[in-house]
Amino acid sequence: MRHRRIWKVCSVSSETATPVRRRGAVLQRRRTELAGWMFVSPAFLLFLVFVAGPFVFAIVLAFLKWDMLTPPEFVGTANFAALFSDPVLPRVLLNTFLFAFASIVTHLVFGLLLALAVNRVISRALSYFARVAIFFPFLISWAAVALLWKYVLDPTFGYVAQYLGGLGIHLPNFFTDPAWALPAIIFIDLWHTLGFTFIIMLAGLQTVPSELVEAARTDGATSWQVFWSVTLPLMSPTMFFATIITFIGAFQIFDPIQIITRGGPQDSTMTIIMYLYEKGFQAFDMGYAAAVALVVFVIIMGVTVLQFVGRRKWVYES
Amino acid sequence: MTALESATGSREEDLLVRLDRPRRRRRRTVGGVVLDIVLVVFGILMLSPLVWLLVQSFTVAEFAFADPPRWLPVPFTIENFTQVFEYMPFFQQFGNSLILAVIATGGSLFFSVLAAYAFARIDFRGSRILLVTMLAALMVPAQLVIIPIFIMMRELGLVDTLASLWLPALVNVFQIFFLSQYFKTIPRELDEAARLDGAGHLWILFRMLVPLSGPAIAALSILGFEASWNGYFGPLIFLSSPENMTLPLGLVTLQNGFGAAPAVIVFAAITMVVVPLLVVFLAFQRQIVESVASAGLKG
Repeated sequence: MRHRRIWKVCSVSSETATPVRRRGAVLQRRRTELAGWMFVSPAFLLFLVFVAGPFVFAIVLAFLKWDMLTPPEFVGTANFAALFSDPVLPRVLLNTFLFAFASIVTHLVFGLLLALAVNRVISRALSYFARVAIFFPFLISWAAVALLWKYVLDPTFGYVAQYLGGLGIHLPNFFTDPAWALPAIIFIDLWHTLGFTFIIMLAGLQTVPSELVEAARTDGATSWQVFWSVTLPLMSPTMFFATIITFIGAFQIFDPIQIITRGGPQDSTMTIIMYLYEKGFQAFDMGYAAAVALVVFVIIMGVTVLQFVGRRKWVYES
Repeated sequence: MTALESATGSREEDLLVRLDRPRRRRRRTVGGVVLDIVLVVFGILMLSPLVWLLVQSFTVAEFAFADPPRWLPVPFTIENFTQVFEYMPFFQQFGNSLILAVIATGGSLFFSVLAAYAFARIDFRGSRILLVTMLAALMVPAQLVIIPIFIMMRELGLVDTLASLWLPALVNVFQIFFLSQYFKTIPRELDEAARLDGAGHLWILFRMLVPLSGPAIAALSILGFEASWNGYFGPLIFLSSPENMTLPLGLVTLQNGFGAAPAVIVFAAITMVVVPLLVVFLAFQRQIVESVASAGLKG
């Protein structure tokens, strides 16, 4: 109610405002400048202290050798030289990209299929149940999820192995078998974060105008043709966004690995952030950890730039 | 930047996602029924680890994790839950998580609201470059800046305190961007009118824009709270004594630390974390899901 009154006043005033005198205008300008900076400065100061400053410091740190006990020592590019000849690094990068790739494929495929299934005309109860069941795991902390799944997939105590064992299928000990540890983490991650992809896909599907789908149907298109020629092109911005955000999240996977396998067995789940944690916060080789962190930064920046460039190329925009 | 370009023309319905759409009458087809069944089965499979968790934590230790698996807690006990308190300071850690989440969420929102107002409503020199710089920092992974922040907190003697976690959380560039986008959807004429009535910037912001941005602020609060409440990397690095830990780190310590607790007690502790979350989720299901969708799509 109150806004309506304000609205009336303003529509008159902006028309009748007379040019102010020059001196007043300069003062007014200065006051606006000052106000702008005053409102921004608390956040900006915090930004300098906790983001920009540490960022610059981390770059400097990558050129130091520092165990946090003895004084830091300038070592030039020694950390990078050591990193790029580190025998573990190829394995770490392979694991990380493998995890990210598997994560993108599984999340997008399952997320889209489930969103399509829920976006049909279905009963309210089923829609509610599906949304709760698929989305809720995403809200549980990784700590709780990782501890729970460690038991769920246990070869003796877990119900998965118990049921399959009853059918005569014997599962490996996922977290001690180098061939199975990473796939197991990929699976747990899918259970945990599928809900996010699903919700993004569902929101994307609801931006597809139903008139277009109806029109295609009337023209005799099959469900498959509608999906392939109408829904999918209109979903491409969502799919693209989901790919990027899944990659960035997956590339930084850490919590379940630190909790369940600590990078093992035999480095089979050693991902780049886990490696960074080991170097920085277990071995206290801060310079080396900063160098690893810079590699992560460069890769994430590359993908983000790719996103800006690629969006124009690959995404259908109406 | 495309994000900045899109800022000018966006309306409220573009920024906040609504997931409910009007329903038509359904036609039953064989394929439809099959898909319904697939969804039900998939949902049950998704929930099965949580049901299993609940069952084990209410089962007497010697009978838990039985083969073949049981889906009812027989023989029933609440002993596992009372034991949790002997292994970990559960309520203390619950309180720590709550304090951290409230300060980090409330504090960052306060600073974000101020900055977002400047970016959305005040034309000051350097505002564009400032916003672009801050947005560029979204690409910097948290693990990169946490190394210097760890060194900083050590110098300040703040390691093993909650402050080491909420201080860096006070600035949140995503919140600033999201809020300034939202403020831009509110007609500027409202400000001018209020100014004619003698209102200053603070009045316009806190008495007008903030109340009009309820949905956006609610969405950001939910996301901020979730991030702090569930965070693991930060607490793992900064906190070391059980009485200072947050719940996620407390849970992991319960299972890994010295004098690790038996599995049923770990399960009871996980249940004590998951069940309140489930209650909150069921109560605010739509708001939570739509917040995540909105922020996700604009992120």
